[in-house]
Amino acid sequence: MSAVLDDAVALGRRVGVALSDDELRRIAERIGRVPTVTELFAFDAQWSEHCSYKSSREHLRKLPTEGPDVLLGVGEDAGIVRLGEWNGETYGVVVAHESHNHPSQVVPFEGAATGIGGIVRDVLCMGAEVIGVADPLRFGRLDNEHCRYVAQSVVDGIAAYGNAIGVPNVGGDVFVDESFDDNVLVNVVALGLVKANEIIHSRAPAGSAGWDIVLVGKATDRSGFGGASFSSLTLDEEDADQNKGAVQVPDPFLKNVIMRATYAVFAELRAQNVEAGFKDLGAGGLAGCSAELCAAGGMGAEVELERVPTAQRDLPPEVIAIGETQERLCWIVPPSFTPLLLEIYNDVFGLPRVARGACAAEIGKVTESGRYVARHRGETVMDVDLAFLTGGVRYRREYTLPHVRRESEAERERTLADADRARPGSLGERLRAVLAHRDVCSRAAIYTRYDGVVRGCTAIPPGYADAGVLVPIPGAPLAAATGIGGNPRYGKIDPRGAAELAVAEAIGHVAAVGARAVGLTDCLNFGDPTVPEHMGAFVAAVNGLADAARHFDVPFVSGNVSLYNRSSSGRHVAPSPIVGAIGVMADVAASATMAFKRAGSPIVLTAPLQTAFGGSVIAELLALETTTLPDLRAHAFAKQCALVIACLERGAIGAAHLVTDGGVLAALAKMAFASEDGLGFRIDPRPLAEPAGHELAWFSETPAFAVEVLDVAAFTELAAQHGVPGYDAGETLAEPVALLGEERVALDELRDAWEAPLRDFYGAVRA
Amino acid sequence: MSARVAVLVFPGTNSEDETLRGLHAVGLDAALVHWSQPDALPHFDAYVLPGGFAHEDRVRAGAAAAHEALMDPVIEAAQAGKFVLGICNGAQILAEAGLVPGTGPLRRPTAAFAPNASGRFASLHVHIKLAVAPDRVPILAGIEPDAVIPAWASHGDGRLAAPPDELARMARDGHVAFVYADRHGTPVPAANGSALGAAALVNRAGTVLAVMPHPERDAWTFQHLGATRRREAMLEPSGGIRLFACFARALNGRAA
Repeated sequence: MSAVLDDAVALGRRVGVALSDDELRRIAERIGRVPTVTELFAFDAQWSEHCSYKSSREHLRKLPTEGPDVLLGVGEDAGIVRLGEWNGETYGVVVAHESHNHPSQVVPFEGAATGIGGIVRDVLCMGAEVIGVADPLRFGRLDNEHCRYVAQSVVDGIAAYGNAIGVPNVGGDVFVDESFDDNVLVNVVALGLVKANEIIHSRAPAGSAGWDIVLVGKATDRSGFGGASFSSLTLDEEDADQNKGAVQVPDPFLKNVIMRATYAVFAELRAQNVEAGFKDLGAGGLAGCSAELCAAGGMGAEVELERVPTAQRDLPPEVIAIGETQERLCWIVPPSFTPLLLEIYNDVFGLPRVARGACAAEIGKVTESGRYVARHRGETVMDVDLAFLTGGVRYRREYTLPHVRRESEAERERTLADADRARPGSLGERLRAVLAHRDVCSRAAIYTRYDGVVRGCTAIPPGYADAGVLVPIPGAPLAAATGIGGNPRYGKIDPRGAAELAVAEAIGHVAAVGARAVGLTDCLNFGDPTVPEHMGAFVAAVNGLADAARHFDVPFVSGNVSLYNRSSSGRHVAPSPIVGAIGVMADVAASATMAFKRAGSPIVLTAPLQTAFGGSVIAELLALETTTLPDLRAHAFAKQCALVIACLERGAIGAAHLVTDGGVLAALAKMAFASEDGLGFRIDPRPLAEPAGHELAWFSETPAFAVEVLDVAAFTELAAQHGVPGYDAGETLAEPVALLGEERVALDELRDAWEAPLRDFYGAVRA
Repeated sequence: MSARVAVLVFPGTNSEDETLRGLHAVGLDAALVHWSQPDALPHFDAYVLPGGFAHEDRVRAGAAAAHEALMDPVIEAAQAGKFVLGICNGAQILAEAGLVPGTGPLRRPTAAFAPNASGRFASLHVHIKLAVAPDRVPILAGIEPDAVIPAWASHGDGRLAAPPDELARMARDGHVAFVYADRHGTPVPAANGSALGAAALVNRAGTVLAVMPHPERDAWTFQHLGATRRREAMLEPSGGIRLFACFARALNGRAA
């Protein structure tokens, strides 16, 4: 046996899989022979960090995943939360979250585009209509030519793909940090709409032995071979060209047609009351997808690889089985339904005429064996225990939790006073600098590249409010909102605190448009799990997510982990727990943009301002040495969210905006910029800060909302009901100015400072 | 008998559903006609070409679709004086088919919706203002002079481009049906660099209209982003729906 184990290791090293020697031995020992090359690549993909969560799983268990609004929890391609009832039926919002970090660093346009392509399939395969996407992006420094190229190409790729398939981009965020210079983060959230009784599961249905396995989509080629294990390796400059082959090639045009054809298939399945299994092909390709489908249903599979439509002749079996060619999906249907399924894709929607070689084809059968068997030209190239293949491995990684020093209040006061003296400036001067900061400035150059309104269901597109709002069922008032949270400046200082604040931020963003968060989705982007400090940052962040989610009583319903975000130069990304919140509202009438609606409205803050400036924009601008993040105070923050939602329902406030990067004044300036008639604002002379009144508190990033009060009596009543004291901060003005105490600054001047940094994101516009 | 409207779906079209909803909202008997059903096409009274990226916008935006057989019955209908409305990609297809401005040979366009001045796709909320006399556009029966309609300009190729003499002719003969404007109706330069500030073109007879921005994306109160949207009427059609309402009035006027 030991010769077999050694041969397995030697073969593994020769064909270049990422499996460790130890993992290769375990595989050979279990299957009792030297694995075939195809098997090796299948295990390589299934046991990769990307597919198996082998380092992260034991920690992810801590996340709360259950709640009354969860229609389908973690475990399939996407989670589903309750949207509401309409015409006697329960509707759900499908939520999936994915990262495409490594591909986007190597081939940014294709990497980002296929990120959208993949996540859209994850939602589609739940039986859902795809209704929106949102992109959290983390770019390297934009004054670096290569980083800028990567950033532009990522945005181009997202735009090209999402716009063409006709799915609106309704949210996201952008941060810029040097830790992303070698390692861009491209996360993507996708949303779908499905009736609760029409969900299709990513598994072979019970009693499906003898059913057909049908592969749909693009002809299989060599693109994307080895993608899963590539995404689980450290990026090495020297391998960049080689790795390009591991990135898939997007075809949004074909996807547009496949989506529409698939909706037609859904309609037929429902009309005929036929059960089916459906899953998208992502990491691990055909073998990975069909194996997971059959394993989830406790079945087995027999697949004939030569029946897989290919774009090239003589593709080796491991490429056919494991390659990650894009735009493919896999159905499990009873044989009686297969002819109609093939007709819809191949004839009615004419896939072969849309893209060369694209089609739907029956490629195998479900079995009861519990084994995955694949044959190629008469030879058995895979014959493995399915549970063993898809069960993956688990690691208990060593970790060192980060030590975060929180200064005493007195220390912080001293630091603040010193910095204020060392870098004096008026409120207006500081506000201009804050608005021009890379993480505060206008993102219009980016989000206007995305179609946010296709499908005609968008109530609030990107740029108009804290969260995008969709009205996904035509004729129904039910609305869904999606908000994003996560701040790399916080992550660098305190991964746990950053994670808690990311949850609060995401929930706060949907509250600001009037929606109650019912589900969370996370993408955890970290460094190398074999380095105890990196693993420790990950563990700390998961602890923070779990605690915050429990405090707010909102469960996680989907997520993704991206590790090894570290380049060969040793640089690793800022610990980046990125959180999306899905909010729902019974009536879209309560939704509001963040724009000030009329002059003379009181401006109120929903919490006193903290003087904890760790990771804040003003701290960076004033070179404040501090590592104390704003305190979440989850209980109070939850009450603030409830108040904002209640006020929007009653029409007591006209606009709400969560205080985030840049603090209160930046928030007020953005509310003014968004106003239709160029409204301005004035602030009260002293901010309501604790401890009292330092002027810099206007730049505090305290978790709180700035609201424009339209009906003072109603607001006062609701605030008392919710136990949230309002803190007067100022008033909206008819004149386009910011009155900051004695200082008067033209809003145009502030707007210019805010718009200038990314105005030339693509370079000067040609005349 | 009420007029029947076909909404064409090419491979790559992506705005068919909301366009259909808009047409239904103004009481029209409209249906999607998929590219696999060419035989159904001749039997309609009017045609609407919705937005998207038909045939991946290969060669030029709208060009491949304009040259495929599916367009034959639409071109015939247009020549017979039936109403044809194109929105965004549909507008590009009508230009490439030579139906707007319609002053040259078929499928040999004299004007095109070329790549935006920025060279990039942009999605911006806009207003468009009627730039011709109402009687110049019988396809929009009852539209008020100087009508201002909210819409979304969501395109990469919306810049009207043509040789200078052709542009002069289009201006003179009233082929620029709508121009970009602010919400009060004051014309503004087109963000995409469109010649003559053009947002829409119409043929000589006023029966074929090619509109670049999407009125159907700001056609329900919940889609309005201004300060004054009426909360009590969030699910009612308003705003951009007026363009569809005028189209319906034109069709019903003919059917009567």
